[in-house]
Amino acid sequence: MSVEAPPRAAATDRPRKPAPSPVVIGGLVVAAAFTWWAGHSLGFSLRPLVENWSNGWVVIEQFLSPNWPFIWRVWDAWVETIAISIVASAVGVSLGLLFAFLASRVTNRSAWGFRATRWFLSVLRSLPDIAYVLIFVALVGVGSLAGILALILFNIGIAAKLTSETIDAVDTGPLEAADASGAGTAARARWAVMPQILPNYLSYCLYIFELNIRASVVIGIAGGGGIGSVINVQFSRFEYENVAAIVVALFVVVLLIDQLSQYLRRRFV
Amino acid sequence: MSAATNRTQPATASAVTTPRPSEPSKTKATLTWLALLVIFGGAVWLSNARWSEITGVFTDGWRYFQLMLDGVLENPFAEPWSGYWTLALEKMMESVYMAWVGTLIGAIVSIPFGFLAARNVSGRVTVQVTRGFLNLIRAVPELVFAIIIMLPIFGFGPVAGTVALGVGAVGTLGKLTAEALEGIDTGPVEAARAAGARKLAVLRWAYWSQVLPEVVAFWLYRFEINIRASAVLGIIGAGGIGQLLGQLFGRREWEQIGIALVVVIAVTLLVDALSGAIRHRIISGGAVKESTFKEDAVSAV
Repeated sequence: MSVEAPPRAAATDRPRKPAPSPVVIGGLVVAAAFTWWAGHSLGFSLRPLVENWSNGWVVIEQFLSPNWPFIWRVWDAWVETIAISIVASAVGVSLGLLFAFLASRVTNRSAWGFRATRWFLSVLRSLPDIAYVLIFVALVGVGSLAGILALILFNIGIAAKLTSETIDAVDTGPLEAADASGAGTAARARWAVMPQILPNYLSYCLYIFELNIRASVVIGIAGGGGIGSVINVQFSRFEYENVAAIVVALFVVVLLIDQLSQYLRRRFV
Repeated sequence: MSAATNRTQPATASAVTTPRPSEPSKTKATLTWLALLVIFGGAVWLSNARWSEITGVFTDGWRYFQLMLDGVLENPFAEPWSGYWTLALEKMMESVYMAWVGTLIGAIVSIPFGFLAARNVSGRVTVQVTRGFLNLIRAVPELVFAIIIMLPIFGFGPVAGTVALGVGAVGTLGKLTAEALEGIDTGPVEAARAAGARKLAVLRWAYWSQVLPEVVAFWLYRFEINIRASAVLGIIGAGGIGQLLGQLFGRREWEQIGIALVVVIAVTLLVDALSGAIRHRIISGGAVKESTFKEDAVSAV
């Protein structure tokens, strides 16, 4: 930098550190303030972690000695959970595919149509799964039907979002070919778009099935049937040994389904 | 799906156009569909659902919807409706706070795990062990963490839920951070080494600087997910909007339920839009393609 620098200088002058951008600083300040405010409103403190450790340990100890035979005693609930997930995923991804076609600029020729569909889908996705279960429990009573209906709505939202984003990115060649040969909207979607998105779509289907198995705890606790309702009952009776056994078994089931779907996915893609 | 057998039949001399190639066999597809149909039928049977109750959706559904709409359309500034709106908003904000603090805890804890689980940073054994641990956390729903560990220690209330969200976030965020670290450009690493940087300095200035935008985007994405997850935690008494929803549904207060649902939808959409805009800005400022980000995020959730 400086012309006067002696020729023997070992290193050039260090360049000046660029000033951090005001946007970043502002963002960090806002984030820090929000964090402080959030922690304050929640009364957040990690002190119980040290103070109540012995209280918690009594319960955790029970969890560490799971009652294994209980897993088989609730066999029906396991079957129910898998069945709920299969029905809900199948219906959800089928309707989700339809909505995906409606929610993409590529397949929906009406600009307002696809905007309205997108808007509807983001409202659908903004409600947590638990809200759907509560609604359907109120409508059709406690049981697996409520769980199935809730998961279907939940699945439509996810399937449609993922698939419509894939549709947005398809190669336009086949679309032009279909248009040139006079294909209607449906034929175009079926023959020019569907073959392109099929591998991705199938992998989303598997992903949604996995999600549904994972969600089974939530579904059951809110009254939607399956293994979650068993957890709910055992939890309210303080039978933590039984809950622990179910949780470990659920973990294994999730892992197995994860492996299975990874295997299937490799065959599709 | 299977490769088409492109065996054209020998053209007869009089044929003007080339004859249509014979259609590939459909047996496999038919069998697959049949199998899927059988599985679906079995599942419908085994799910123990009382399908006849489904009429309730159409009969009661419409009535309840009207009640909910009534609640939403009442003057929100008059008693008691203003109280309902305030309560729902307060509880929803509690959920947002839980999600924010929980995500922050998860983010901070996940950084060292991310480095330990990256193949180009740590040794093979460390990577295997850390990945196993992260997968374990990923497989357990937050709800289970809350039930097993957090409620006994923190008692009922939002703090238990917050910590549960934090623990749950470590699994995904750790994995995504590790994957981001594995995808970095090795140039800066070599440059830092050549300039005599120590291991820690290399990690900080060559690795971390490269993945920071992507990793912060993952944090925000997880925050969006955690807002929904925090609603679930409320149902077992861990605070937030879920607790209010559970109470309202228990008492069948449809007018208030309508108000609460509108608040949930509005706040979630708002936060999603805000967080999405920031993520977009961060990512397009960085060198990461949006497409890779999305796929990673999807596979990890």
